[in-house]
Amino acid sequence: MIRLSGRLRSALIIGMQGIRSRKLRTLLSMVSLFLGVLAVVAVQAGSQIAEQAALGNIELLEGVDGTQMMYVSQNDKAPAVVLDALQGKQHAVALVGTRAFIGEPNVSPINKGGGPIDQGASGGYYCSGYSACSPDDNQAQGPPGKAVELSLTAMTGDNRQFQPFRLQSGRWLDFTSPASLAPRIVINTKAAEAFQRYQIPAQMRITGATADPTPQIIGVVDDGSGAPGAYVPYDELANWLPPGADTSLQVMTAPSETALLQTLKARLTAAGVPAGQLQVRTINSKAHVAEQLELMRLIFLGMAGLVLLIGVAGILNVGLATVGERVEEFALRRALGTPRLLLAGIVLAETLLTGLFTSMLAIGAGVLGLRAAGVLVGNSARFSFLHDLAFPWQAGAAGVAAGLIAGLLGGSIPALRAARIPIATVMRA
Amino acid sequence: MTEPLIRLSGVTKTLKGQEEPRTVLNGVDLSLYSGQSIAVLGRSGSGKSTLLSLIGLFDRPDQGQYLLRDNDITKISERRAAALRSSEFGFVFQRFFLLKHLTAAQNVAMALVNGQGWLPRRKRRAKVMTALEQVGVAHLAKHRPARLSGGEQQRVAIARALVRDPKILLADEPTGALDSETGNLVVEVLRSTTDRGCGLILVTHDRDHANKMGRVLHLADGVLGQVTA
Repeated sequence: MIRLSGRLRSALIIGMQGIRSRKLRTLLSMVSLFLGVLAVVAVQAGSQIAEQAALGNIELLEGVDGTQMMYVSQNDKAPAVVLDALQGKQHAVALVGTRAFIGEPNVSPINKGGGPIDQGASGGYYCSGYSACSPDDNQAQGPPGKAVELSLTAMTGDNRQFQPFRLQSGRWLDFTSPASLAPRIVINTKAAEAFQRYQIPAQMRITGATADPTPQIIGVVDDGSGAPGAYVPYDELANWLPPGADTSLQVMTAPSETALLQTLKARLTAAGVPAGQLQVRTINSKAHVAEQLELMRLIFLGMAGLVLLIGVAGILNVGLATVGERVEEFALRRALGTPRLLLAGIVLAETLLTGLFTSMLAIGAGVLGLRAAGVLVGNSARFSFLHDLAFPWQAGAAGVAAGLIAGLLGGSIPALRAARIPIATVMRA
Repeated sequence: MTEPLIRLSGVTKTLKGQEEPRTVLNGVDLSLYSGQSIAVLGRSGSGKSTLLSLIGLFDRPDQGQYLLRDNDITKISERRAAALRSSEFGFVFQRFFLLKHLTAAQNVAMALVNGQGWLPRRKRRAKVMTALEQVGVAHLAKHRPARLSGGEQQRVAIARALVRDPKILLADEPTGALDSETGNLVVEVLRSTTDRGCGLILVTHDRDHANKMGRVLHLADGVLGQVTA
């Protein structure tokens, strides 16, 4: 149990008595401070939530920080070399990207170019995820029809160790079972929305393939992408893709797999891939985004600080008026042996307690506001991150700190005044 | 004779206000012994309250010496003075200075919750009740000052002065705001504290009240003199 010193206890007891005896004044101080503390709480909570939302998506799209990403340029021998090198490796995955059309054959897709469904035909070509970026091929030049163009990514293993896709329904890809002639695919939420909106036949045309398979959609994931996409085990895509098809190739590895990347580089160079075209990048998007968000947070905190200053001025004003009213009380307390320091402590205890109570109220308002936002708009796709979102503890800590700092700043001058009240006041009264 | 509780020797105090500096105490000598009661009479503005404020360590003399149990406290620090005010002195003022938002018991407890040591709540309450009983208002412990008569309020103020068992009680015109009968009662309560060995200095205008003290002094022109019967 924490044992407070006699002076601190005295300051807290007398401070609480002062607050109880001047409830209206305390309330007025709290009103002016409330908005300032609430602003700090809101900015801190907002920045934490924004960071969570932004960083969550950035990890889905780019990969978790530290992941090593190797881009392999187009080369006939490269896929075989990569697949061989990654054989049995748990912490390395090859991703082969291509484009696919699901729906009516030989029609122009609803989202020509592979862009978001809502934007219709974006024209030209669209690069998303690991898909190959190339101009529209002949399959996309037909009359408008019911088909969706999407990026198709084939994987040699589970990439979720690098990109933590969120499973929305169904199940994720199984890389251990034998390949099926009807490719088992997992689509992303944007593709799922497209298939929900349009009645589309289950026929998939893969760029470069000579025949159209019938896909089995086994699950839906949130991959952070804004455009339709699908994922398939590499073995199943390989059944349909002829050698030399127009694909992109990337390798993702854990930070510890530097030796594997060096081996891979050497083998690819030996296979004829120019060394200059083998780029390895270490993902640090999270740190980069966090840095940008931090700047924004500081700007908003600065603005909240200004609002807080108004609250400090309120406490200062009320504090000075209160000390003016309590001149005799403070002089009497000094006559009874209360040291000057404790008198200052009594006034500070009152303003600090006021600041603390206010911060509690502001934090409570923040928690309720977040819950209300979650209930009101959390079900919409745009604000889905608000659903079941916990109030960030950092915002609570910032609120308490803001309340205490405001109490300290607003109470320090009245405290000094109280400590300087001449003791002879009681004799002259 | 035993050593005096306090001894003032040649104490001088000049007040410097907006007007000309005025010497209100000029070479005052005074000793107070345990169990002794002294009344100080004098006209308004004669320096009675200034004398009390010097004795009570609210202020410091310009010249002279102030001994408390043979310890020189003439130029004592404010921190040490606060500790002595708490442990050695009890104060009773003309206006009772009871805080209206506190009960009688809480007002008395003010002297115990002053940062000079800490008493647990139970012991604090016991001391407060004992002090209130000494002045005969224990039954009013939970009443706020607004519900008390002037005499009751002053007795609560005396209980506040007594709660720390002071060695010296300083009373500055404690009956000034009371009617004659209540004033007599209050003076009797104050005088009774000397039976327990407390030294009492009573500043008053009232000669009848002064005559109830063991020694009566008169302050005029800054000089303290013995009053003859």
